[in-house]
Amino acid sequence: MSDEEHHFESSDAGASKTYPQQAGTIRKNGYIVIKNRPCKVVEVSTSKTGKHGHAKCHFVGIDIFTAKKLEDIVPSSHNCDVPHVNRTDYQLIDISEDGFLSLLTESGDTKDDLRLPTDENLVKQIKDGFAEGKDLVVSVMSAMGEEQICALKDIGPK
Amino acid sequence: MQGFSDGGADLAQLQSTMRTIEVACTSIQMHINPTAAEATILSLAQSPQPYKACQFILENSQVANARFQAVAAIRDAAIREWSFLSNEDRRSLISFCLCFIMQHASSPEGYVQAKVSSVAAQLMKRGWLEFTAAEKEAFFYQVKQAILGAHGVDVQFIGVNFLESLISEFSPSTSSAMGLPREFHEQCRTSLELNYLKTFYFWARDAALSVTNKIIESDAVIPEVKVCTAALRLMLQILNWEFRHDTNSTKASINVFSAVVRHDNASSKRSECVLVQPGPAWCDVLISSGHVGWLLGLYAALRQKFSCKGYWLDCPIAVSARKLIVQFCSLTGSIFASDNGKMQENHMLQLLSGILQWIDPPDVVSKAIEEGKCESEMLDGCRALLSIATVTTHFVFDQLLKAIRPFGTLTLLSTLMCEVVKVLMTNNTDEETWSWEARDILLDTWTILLVPMDGSGGNALLPPEGKHAAANIFAMIVESELKVASASVANDDGDSDYLQASISAMDERLSSYALIARAAIDITIPLLTRHFSERFVRLDQGRGIIDPTETLEELYSLLLITGHVLADEGDGETPLVPTAIQTDFVDIVEAEKHPVVVLSASIIRFAEQSMDPEVRATVFSPRLMEAVIWFLARWSHTYLMPLEESKCHLSHGYDHQHQSIHSRKALLSFFGEHNQGQIVLNIIVRISTMTLMSYPGEKDLQGLTCHHLLHTLVRRKNICHKLVSLDSWRDLANAFINEKVLFLLSSANQRSLAQTLVLSASGLRNSEASNQYVRGLMVHMTTYLVELSNKKNLKSVAQQPDIIMSVSCFLERLRGAASAAEPRTQRAVYEMGISVMNPVLLLLEVYKHESAVIYLLLKFIVDWVDGQISYLEAQETASVIDFCMRLLQLYSSHNIGKISISLSSTLLSEAKTEKYKDLRALLQLLSSLCSKDLVDFSSDSIEVEGTNISQVVYFGLHIVTPLISLELLKYPKLCHDYFSLLSHILEVYPETFAQLNSDAFAHIVGTLDFGLHHQDLEVVNMCLGALKALASYHYRKMCAGKTGLGSHAAGHGNFPEGIFSRFLRSLLQLLLFEDYSPDLVSAAADALLPLILCEQGVYQRLGNELIERQANPMLKSRLANALHSLTSSNHLSSTLDRVNYQRFRKNLNSLLIEVRGFLRTM
Repeated sequence: MSDEEHHFESSDAGASKTYPQQAGTIRKNGYIVIKNRPCKVVEVSTSKTGKHGHAKCHFVGIDIFTAKKLEDIVPSSHNCDVPHVNRTDYQLIDISEDGFLSLLTESGDTKDDLRLPTDENLVKQIKDGFAEGKDLVVSVMSAMGEEQICALKDIGPK
Repeated sequence: MQGFSDGGADLAQLQSTMRTIEVACTSIQMHINPTAAEATILSLAQSPQPYKACQFILENSQVANARFQAVAAIRDAAIREWSFLSNEDRRSLISFCLCFIMQHASSPEGYVQAKVSSVAAQLMKRGWLEFTAAEKEAFFYQVKQAILGAHGVDVQFIGVNFLESLISEFSPSTSSAMGLPREFHEQCRTSLELNYLKTFYFWARDAALSVTNKIIESDAVIPEVKVCTAALRLMLQILNWEFRHDTNSTKASINVFSAVVRHDNASSKRSECVLVQPGPAWCDVLISSGHVGWLLGLYAALRQKFSCKGYWLDCPIAVSARKLIVQFCSLTGSIFASDNGKMQENHMLQLLSGILQWIDPPDVVSKAIEEGKCESEMLDGCRALLSIATVTTHFVFDQLLKAIRPFGTLTLLSTLMCEVVKVLMTNNTDEETWSWEARDILLDTWTILLVPMDGSGGNALLPPEGKHAAANIFAMIVESELKVASASVANDDGDSDYLQASISAMDERLSSYALIARAAIDITIPLLTRHFSERFVRLDQGRGIIDPTETLEELYSLLLITGHVLADEGDGETPLVPTAIQTDFVDIVEAEKHPVVVLSASIIRFAEQSMDPEVRATVFSPRLMEAVIWFLARWSHTYLMPLEESKCHLSHGYDHQHQSIHSRKALLSFFGEHNQGQIVLNIIVRISTMTLMSYPGEKDLQGLTCHHLLHTLVRRKNICHKLVSLDSWRDLANAFINEKVLFLLSSANQRSLAQTLVLSASGLRNSEASNQYVRGLMVHMTTYLVELSNKKNLKSVAQQPDIIMSVSCFLERLRGAASAAEPRTQRAVYEMGISVMNPVLLLLEVYKHESAVIYLLLKFIVDWVDGQISYLEAQETASVIDFCMRLLQLYSSHNIGKISISLSSTLLSEAKTEKYKDLRALLQLLSSLCSKDLVDFSSDSIEVEGTNISQVVYFGLHIVTPLISLELLKYPKLCHDYFSLLSHILEVYPETFAQLNSDAFAHIVGTLDFGLHHQDLEVVNMCLGALKALASYHYRKMCAGKTGLGSHAAGHGNFPEGIFSRFLRSLLQLLLFEDYSPDLVSAAADALLPLILCEQGVYQRLGNELIERQANPMLKSRLANALHSLTSSNHLSSTLDRVNYQRFRKNLNSLLIEVRGFLRTM
């Protein structure tokens, strides 16, 4: 048991949270770290520093967890950090009263440490779907040590 | 509010109506409960026969707004009820309006007068085709008396104004909608042009003449000025009429080919200048009666008065007079006798001598304007020159002035423009000043004079004096552009413009510059060479000492100008060396000394210096490099290994041209295949590779290199041939395969580079070698994807950003290669796609949440299938189709019922947009599959393998449509694609449509209904086409005793009434009661006819319901008759052939004219 835990930890530590990537190659709909937050890029524009200077990229990103808008300007030949965004699908088993979700992993274990989002609309969407008795799969997005539900899918019989 | 009808109105009732309307008008103005007030006013317009009440208000109300609304109500009601008003009523409404404006001619509320006058004009037009000549005569008698001044100045003014409204009502572009077909407007316009327009002009001229003396003699502003201004305006309006019926068109066509009047199409295309071509009938009034002399005299007299009180340069009468004079400069066509242009020349000379004082001497005029004089007269003078240039050749243009001055008009044009450019240089601001506008007008003038006017490309060969003038102005232009360039460095505001943007903004200007330069090419090319070498030396000597930015910017401008002077834009064709450059250099024996060779070589040598890292760092900024690449692309397209090189012998063998042939040959062969061509090509490829490798992150520069320069090179076969043998090209291909730096190119550039390299394979000697070349290029990418997809931990590895980047990069490359498929390389590209089929499906699975990658995957498959499908043999087709269906199903299973959850509304809408783009790609995939039935190059029929394209496409649609919500159809492009696919397959395979299950069927029918009510005309048209196809298919099958659409048509489950009766109902509803463009009526008729034939019983019932709903017995019988004749008149039969469709269209049109007027107000 302890062996297994150890193995798990080391693989987690080995997976880097961010990767460097040249600013010029980051495009709309990709990801970027701005002010130490993982963001989805919603706008990229390029301009030059002075008439005969070099290109720089202007990014507008939206924090994938908090939805805050963040901006950054980087010379396009320099590197930016790109977050490692992972998404995992779980089947939703239960929603506990204290706001935690009970999820079924692919290997058949359960995962019980994910909280419901704080926004009431999102909670309502999840709860309503669950209450209707649909078979729901939730996609959980994780990046830079945080995780959150990013999509719901009804896989119940048509 | 139903109560404005005035069947037997008494005075009290009329007064109460008037008060109600007055109160409503006042409350709108005071903003008290405006909605209710508007409803009150609207109900007046919508009540039946409100004319008495309206007339009462017009005559008695003290509230101007109430009068305005009353006359508007007359207009609305009369247009609506026109078809059942008696002829008597119609005429009395018009004469009421006419009398009203005459009687109230001095009324201060001009807007009420204008409205009444325009209502009179509209009603007159509505009845135009029904009134007899005598009836029209009666109206116009009144108007003529007024205009000729029988009732005083005010009435005279009103009369002129009325004609102005009438003409704008008859001119199609300014006419008001009347719910009638276009032919009606066309007929009215023809009738007015042929029978009245000239008479009106006479009246306007006579009105102006009648007051001219008084105006000239009096020093103060008198009321007659107003009349004269209006008359001038009316004359201008008539000359602006788009004359169609040149009664003597054969004569005109003789003129077209004569030396003097140039081909109308060619010149009007180049300029916004309207040509005035009223035809020979107008000669007496416009030319031979001394009319122009009077007009010039009037303006000259006005000029004297500008110091007087009430007159100034921009006072209305002066403006109108100048505009009319400028308009006269555009007079052309068969109005002038065919006397070798003598008459037209005299006409223009007369105008020019009148205009001359506005612009000559140029330095004095421009100085006066800079000191505060108004510029409008000078600008009008420039416009007049432009107009004259439009209707003459440069030769005639130049000669005109020589009759009165020692120099030609071209010299005047050049001096004038030099002055303007000087002013432009001294106060260089971003504001659009007068000099800016004047420069643009004069530049247009040059363009129109110099542009090659016939298909032969024969350039305007100017006389020596004109050439000198062109050279002068070009030198001035270059000087000013250089000054602007170096000054722009100083006021740098961070966001500088991009090459493409600045070229397209300047493009028109640059090509005009090029025309001027080519008119004096032997002077201007050496001038450009001098400018370049001065700056090269300056850079060389100042390196490390002086900041080079200004010089760089100047070089940037020079490169753009020179690129335009030396070569034309190809526009997809291979441009030739400009004629002037081919023919105007004589005495050049040694190619190395040919000025064009000297200039080109000096620029290429300069560009080559960018290979040196040290020089690159100090001199070749990304921006300058962009201009260099742009120039190389444009230049090499024309000069590098030109096609004409081999066939250099000229067809026309003039002896004196012998020397120019010689120099032409020298120029063309210098950069040819057997001379310097290969060396230069090698340099260009090395420079291209360098910009891709050594300017990391400079997307624009790399984009130009990929899309512009490299793409240009591989477009020509003979160049491809050389390319594949060059070491430098091999280096580029190797870098593409191996160099990490090139993985960093942006996606579009990545794609383009792959495409270019694959295209260059056509230069290899045979198909086998070409295919081998493509395999060599792409095998790395496919192997990578195959290996990645075979990894056990694919799921976790795939999510790493570096892997995502490589996958994206390779997918872009595959897509680029797929889109470059040509018959020669088709095999290799096919194998490339086949080898990644499984990886694609696996990646579709692991990246299902990574929308950016999914889109790339789909686009790659779309382009690959699109390029391959027509070549595939039956078995290959079957496997490709199988793959596509698996792809569709997989995509659908990932996305159906999926809801994105995010706090951010931006991210949610982004997610929607991504979905829309995916679906659009899937629809494109289905369309490509569809095309297999139309274009098929394979040796066997696909039926061999049992593939039925129609079933495949319907099956695909079955998978895709549930994902297309009505919400997503709001994206115009998706909507367009969806409906064009739908209407296509319904037209081509209606029988398969019948086999769909009821859910899929219902969904598609639902979207059709949605599309029918769409705002986009084309979407509605496509839906109507689809309906027509379905209904006529069903009807034909029924006639043949088959089931047609079977249960779908009969109705069941959700649609108890069956689709045809449902659409019959909604289409009738649309046609009779809703708003739509008149252009739809024909398409709607084509859909309606088979629908009626399919569901005759339902149609009878709907018709009866409509008739029963009508309370008014008169309208009831009209409606019944109209509906009856829809299906019975014009010998309509129950077949679906062309003739019958045509008849039905006519019937539907008359039905709509007849009944829509009253049905829509119920």
